[in-house]
Amino acid sequence: MRRDIPIGRKRLFFDGASGTMLQEMGLAAGEFPETWNLIHPERVASMHRAYLEAGCDIFNTNTFGANRLKYPDQLEEIVTSAVQIADRARKDADREDAFIALDIGPTGKLLEPMGDLPFERAVELFGEVVRIGSRAGADLVLIETMADSYEAKAAVLAAKENCSLPVFITLTFDETGKMLTGGTPESVTAMLEGLGVDALGVNCGMGPKQMIPIVKRFLTAASVPVIVNPNAGLPRSRNGHTYYDITPDEFAQYMQEITRLGAHAVGGCCGTTPEHIRREISLCRDLPFHEPVRKDRSVVTSFSKAVELGGKPAIIGERINPTGKKKFKEALKNNDIDYILTEGLRQEDAGADILDVNVGLPEICEPDLIDAVVKRLQSVTALPLQIDTSDPEAMERAMRHYNGKPMINSVNGKEESMRAVFPLVKKYGGVVVGLLLDENGIPETADGRIAVAKKLIRTAAEYGIEKKDLVFDALALTVSSDQQSAVVTLETLRRIRDELGMHSILGVSNISFGLPRRELINGTFFTMAMQSGLSCAIINPNNEAMMNAYRSFLVLSGLDQRCESYIRTYSGTKAPSSSASVLNNPAGGSGAAGGTGASNGTRTDVTSGGPVGTLRDCIERGMDKKAAEAARTALEGGQPPLDLVNGQLIPALDRVGQEFEKGTLFLPQLLMSAEAAKAAFEVVKQYMKDDGSEKKEPVILATVKGDIHDIGKNIVKVLLENYGYGVIDLGRDVPPEVILEAAKKNNVRLVGLSALMTTTVVNMEETIRLLKKEKPDTVTVVGGAVMNPEYAEQIGADFYAKDAMATVHVADTVFHHDS
Amino acid sequence: MIEIDQKEVLRYLGFRRGNGPDALLMSEIEKCERELQDAVLPKSIVRRFPLEQIDEKTLRFAGITIVSHSLSKNLANCSEVYLFGATLGVGPDRLISRAQVVKMSDAVIYQAASAAMIETWCDTVNEKIRKEVSAEGLFTRPRYSPGYGDCPLEVQRDLIRVLDAPKQIGLTLTDSLLMMPSKSVTAVIGVSDVPVICHPKGCESCAKTDCEYRR
Repeated sequence: MRRDIPIGRKRLFFDGASGTMLQEMGLAAGEFPETWNLIHPERVASMHRAYLEAGCDIFNTNTFGANRLKYPDQLEEIVTSAVQIADRARKDADREDAFIALDIGPTGKLLEPMGDLPFERAVELFGEVVRIGSRAGADLVLIETMADSYEAKAAVLAAKENCSLPVFITLTFDETGKMLTGGTPESVTAMLEGLGVDALGVNCGMGPKQMIPIVKRFLTAASVPVIVNPNAGLPRSRNGHTYYDITPDEFAQYMQEITRLGAHAVGGCCGTTPEHIRREISLCRDLPFHEPVRKDRSVVTSFSKAVELGGKPAIIGERINPTGKKKFKEALKNNDIDYILTEGLRQEDAGADILDVNVGLPEICEPDLIDAVVKRLQSVTALPLQIDTSDPEAMERAMRHYNGKPMINSVNGKEESMRAVFPLVKKYGGVVVGLLLDENGIPETADGRIAVAKKLIRTAAEYGIEKKDLVFDALALTVSSDQQSAVVTLETLRRIRDELGMHSILGVSNISFGLPRRELINGTFFTMAMQSGLSCAIINPNNEAMMNAYRSFLVLSGLDQRCESYIRTYSGTKAPSSSASVLNNPAGGSGAAGGTGASNGTRTDVTSGGPVGTLRDCIERGMDKKAAEAARTALEGGQPPLDLVNGQLIPALDRVGQEFEKGTLFLPQLLMSAEAAKAAFEVVKQYMKDDGSEKKEPVILATVKGDIHDIGKNIVKVLLENYGYGVIDLGRDVPPEVILEAAKKNNVRLVGLSALMTTTVVNMEETIRLLKKEKPDTVTVVGGAVMNPEYAEQIGADFYAKDAMATVHVADTVFHHDS
Repeated sequence: MIEIDQKEVLRYLGFRRGNGPDALLMSEIEKCERELQDAVLPKSIVRRFPLEQIDEKTLRFAGITIVSHSLSKNLANCSEVYLFGATLGVGPDRLISRAQVVKMSDAVIYQAASAAMIETWCDTVNEKIRKEVSAEGLFTRPRYSPGYGDCPLEVQRDLIRVLDAPKQIGLTLTDSLLMMPSKSVTAVIGVSDVPVICHPKGCESCAKTDCEYRR
């Protein structure tokens, strides 16, 4: 039965440390405290009673580390007895008014993609504990000491999905105000409120004094009640024992200060005792209480970054989208996620605040792909993402596995759309883009669009979604077919801001569709839109005209302090009319690039200021931008692409490879040269007639199951690609069956496997055995930190490669390319 | 801020025989090192326990029993041990995974530089322990990690459990015993009333290859 817990309506007190208390009673270092629920229930009960007698209102079951990983056989007993002990202690202490919190701590594992615990497995592990604990009679779920926002999300989802009890959560930060995986009070507050927690806050990690700045940030960010449970100061060590350095009185003094700041519930963590809690209660009990205030902030987050809408318009990068992009479509079909990641990171470098992610294509499984792309993107960028899909299943998968509070693109005024999208926003949290159209199409007037907006607000409210989590797309339609369209859009933007007091978004460049010199219209329209209140612009941040308009607008509207950003960007650059001539500049010409030996080119490189040498020289020296430029210059000067490849690119690579093997040139240089060659080849390909039609020998690369470090495998990939092989990269932690399936499907002869740990070599051996059995013509080459020729032979590999160049030689041997 | 031992970084990058990076590579290395300095979140945890030497190859401390000749040798004449865990946090791993998409040569540089940084960070924590016991008139042994010699890698699980490392410093283990964050170290450091003069940079740098304490 759900009891009403008056959190946020009156001040509540939590209990203090349990580990500290149990250690006093004889718990050994390394011993699992939860086992005491079975072997020393009376001691656990006496701890609860001591805290209840000290006056706390909420006390935690002794289940911090209880999960199936730690207790494969005894989980039910341990959790059930923990709640029973708590219940009995409550009766014995005559404190039936107190609430039992089912205590849930972290799993002790790091979640994928950084660690090896899959998100859904974490949800399962927490869910199990929640089911047992709520069945046994806990009054609420307290998730605590979470230092990773992703694990926190898994735990909250598990609690919500497996019981109807209130869910509280407290997180752990360090002195810099960050969680271990980068989360901040602002970023986690947005995410957790989106997930619907009933209260949140901070515990452990530091003493009350160090916690004060973090508490302030939570109180500023949070709309729900804030809980503060610090340690009894900082840990010190004496004779091998850990103790905490502040007394109950000092602790209580600080807690009084924290309570005055506005914390709604306070207690203690490591090192605190019933005495700390008693003093804390006596100093804080009668202080004035203020209920939490709702903060109407629209915040989108990643695992570490929070972007608040309003103020400076946010740039949403639009490039992760297959519409009209042949290469991008190819990449999607081939599951080439690295290509998509590169598109994302380029936009980040160009100044995007948020990345739109749209991977919808008719012939692919969108839920699988968007799930994979969102996860991979979040392992390489901290920018928040906008999940852009019309497939509700894809939307749910991406929202569920997203680490943070995403932006969702989109819902519209149609009944069907609202019914599909709003429940997801309510469950997972997110700022959702509402397109101002409905069953009657796109209203032609601003009045019509505002009416749809109001319908969206009403319906969202019925689902329990607040206005702050809605952003309206005012819709930009091409001005070439309707002269009034820009005016209507701008008027709609203005009214979203002034009448509704809400935020807006726009795909800006649609406005110029069908017109010549689109950037002229786009840049001006963008400025007008921002002036009319546009909060988020979906644009290509690599587009100079748009970013010029943006940066200028920021200066002119007082949003770029001391014009710093503007000056940093443009100081020392020339106006476009003069720098645009770089491409057409005949100076240097074929003379510079066509030479063979040392750098005889003297042309000035505009991008980095140095002279551009021959292509060969640029590659040998590992200069990627200059290599691309040298290739372009040579090709524009009329040099046949194949001549350039055979006469310069390949000889340069060969020489670098030989020097690497001789030991006169080293790994980073080898890779820089490989990158330069790749950059040059990208340019050369544009000049080749049969682009992409050449047949490449396929090679599979994978890091075997259990191994999550893949840097070595990726080095090999760079080199193999450089030498013209078509690498099928299966990634890391790859099960043997997946490798076999890929080898069969693509009819691949050469499979390269990497293992870093002795513990995973068994999986390498298993993979080789499976390949030999099911696809006997497969040749295997192995490498990695623990490998050597003897070991390789022992596990049945055909080749051992000591480094990336050696792998290239193996491939050449297998495919008879060796010279 | 953790000082970065430039010589070590170059050694990890493979530079040998007086070869060094050119200016272009050097500036890239420096750029990567600056980013690492911003990204690392060094943390450590140590705990001290009495040590029992059961026989010539069996040790017991903190409720853990370890059968290992080489660790027993390392801990000869010791009556106590420090268990040691140190990490740079997930920052380097994030930089490395990003660079693997954008620029592989940077990934290799981050890898080398963060490897040098975790060593320095361990040395710093180690030095604090040495000072602490030296005030008691005692001496430390070179730190010894699971997986060295015949000391089983599985001991990693025990060290991490006893140190409560996931909660205390965010150091976790995968099922295949890889540490995550990857730039992390766990170790045992012996405490004895008998001094052993050791190379401050550890056994790898020491010329005494027949030393009985060598790991």
